[in-house]
Amino acid sequence: MLPSAGDVSWSAEINGVNKRLNIENNAILLDVLRDQAGSLGTKRGCDMGTCGCCSVLVNGEPRLSCLTLAAEVDGAAITTVEGLADGHHLHPIQAMFAECGGSQCGFCTPGFLVVTSALLDENPNPSDKEIKCAIEGNLCRCTGYQQIVDSVRAASDILTKGLQLEDSTSPKSDPHPGFSGG
Amino acid sequence: MMRMPPFKLHTPKTLNDALNIARELSNEEIEFDWIAGGTDLLPNYKWHLNAKPHVISLSGISELSKLNSNHIGAMVSLHDLAKSKYTHPVLVKAADSIASTLIRRSGTVGGNICLDTRCYWFNQTEQWRESIDWCHKCDCGTEADCRVIPNQNTLCVATYQADLAPVLMCLGATIHLASVNGIRSMPLHNFFELDGMTRNVLQHGELVTHITLPEDVNEWKGDYQKLRQRESWDFPEAGVAALWRMGTKGPTQLRIATTGLESIPGLHLEEANNAISKWNGSNTIDTLADAIRKSVKPVQNTWYSPSYRKKMVKVLTKRACAGLIER
Ligand SMILES: Cc1cc2nc3c(=O)[nH]c(=O)nc-3n(C[C@H](O)[C@H](O)[C@H](O)COP(=O)(O)OP(=O)(O)OC[C@H]3O[C@@H](n4cnc5c(N)ncnc54)[C@H](O)[C@@H]3O)c2cc1C
Ligand code: SF4
Ligand code: FES
Ligand code: FES
Repeated sequence: MLPSAGDVSWSAEINGVNKRLNIENNAILLDVLRDQAGSLGTKRGCDMGTCGCCSVLVNGEPRLSCLTLAAEVDGAAITTVEGLADGHHLHPIQAMFAECGGSQCGFCTPGFLVVTSALLDENPNPSDKEIKCAIEGNLCRCTGYQQIVDSVRAASDILTKGLQLEDSTSPKSDPHPGFSGG
Repeated sequence: MMRMPPFKLHTPKTLNDALNIARELSNEEIEFDWIAGGTDLLPNYKWHLNAKPHVISLSGISELSKLNSNHIGAMVSLHDLAKSKYTHPVLVKAADSIASTLIRRSGTVGGNICLDTRCYWFNQTEQWRESIDWCHKCDCGTEADCRVIPNQNTLCVATYQADLAPVLMCLGATIHLASVNGIRSMPLHNFFELDGMTRNVLQHGELVTHITLPEDVNEWKGDYQKLRQRESWDFPEAGVAALWRMGTKGPTQLRIATTGLESIPGLHLEEANNAISKWNGSNTIDTLADAIRKSVKPVQNTWYSPSYRKKMVKVLTKRACAGLIER
């Protein structure tokens, strides 16, 4: 059931856009983002602080939106997964999740992307231990985590060594050998 | 989706305003809770565990966030505590072991000290608890019995599972409280009060403002050891802190405290003093570890069995004391 819009005026800069909404006085940020601000990229997993799917950045800091009262972040700058890309250009961490298999079913992915993008902002060249520590509050039931660590490593290489993003749409192998036209 | 129970949130900007709101609600006999980081209170509210009609948020009160070597504000986040150059290294270790990096950004020192006690008959959804006809701690008016120690209906033995208290108690922390009636302070170990529902000495309308540590805090060395299911974010099934001051022939002072075993954390003064008076290196540590094991009485309400947790208390004590005999 969607919460009915209550009587408190609330504003935030969500992904760089100023939003003014009427929210319920005790509303949870996750509910406001999903049901009122239209950020369906922010996922509801456990709703209890244990899975990390609902992670967003509040003034640049990763936070669990399911355990944040919206009223307490009134006026804040909030970044959701939708705010990571620069127009049509994916953030390196998004591109590398796609390249390295960091995302499979994808349900946990927004949370991982938000948390690891914050890690790379703060520390562009993290060790594997630092990467694992940053994602300790995010659960993934598909990948087994190694591909996620690989994705962060690869994104870090792009950011620190100036490596170019690969064009992931270019074919890696010829699916129909011998039928390549010509 | 977990449905939040309805409540009115108050967001005062100063301590005085917060205490005045508390007084007004108390005068009208309206129940309320304080909320700090909300990482304990909100999950409990989502499960409809003893939710109140009003909640007063402390997050806008900047005067509660002061942090230096001897002063820790109640609203200092666990993240900031663990990252600060002022924090004692054993306190850093305990803070870093709490929950996950994400939860430590919101969770606070005050909320950690005042953490509600936990029990697997209690920390469950409303539907689950209804299916077992509730329990004494949240009986929904049914006068349900305690599921752990039945046929008594007066006592709750839910477990205190917060990590900071044992280390702070060993460091000689004093806790400072405020209400409209004034301020008071006491050694941290006197703050906690049985049973699992009473939890501590806080009166209605009273809150924790800060913790102070003695001047000599940096002369104490030690360790904190924690037993849990998953390293990433689980609550302590048992936790042992050991802190000492070294002389030339061994420790001159030693304090041991435990968490995750009973409804309040324990400071084991007698056992530690015995060890100092008969100090004989690793033999003393063995005897001490056994004495601590015998002094704790866990019950069957967390994931590991009481007997395993008791056995592990001995192991954790030895590990925490390992620095006493390292050369
Ligand atoms: C997945 C998960 C894992 C966790 N793992 C751990 C763990 O390993 N170890 C651990 O110790 N904790 C753990 N926690 C519990 C919790 O996150 C921390 O203990 C945290 O420090 C609680 O602080 P808070 O500010 O969020 O408290 P809140 O939820 O805001 O408050 C907790 C309680 O304290 C009261 N309170 C808060 N501040 C004050 C104050 N200043 N004065 C008076 N009363 C106050 C509140 O009314 C409430 O009853 C975990 C939580 C989750 C969700
Ligand atoms: S110890 Fe007993 S009364 Fe307390 S929460 Fe558990 S079952 Fe309920
Ligand atoms: S939905 Fe917030 S942590 Fe799972
Ligand atoms: S990709 Fe499926 S849960 Fe992580």
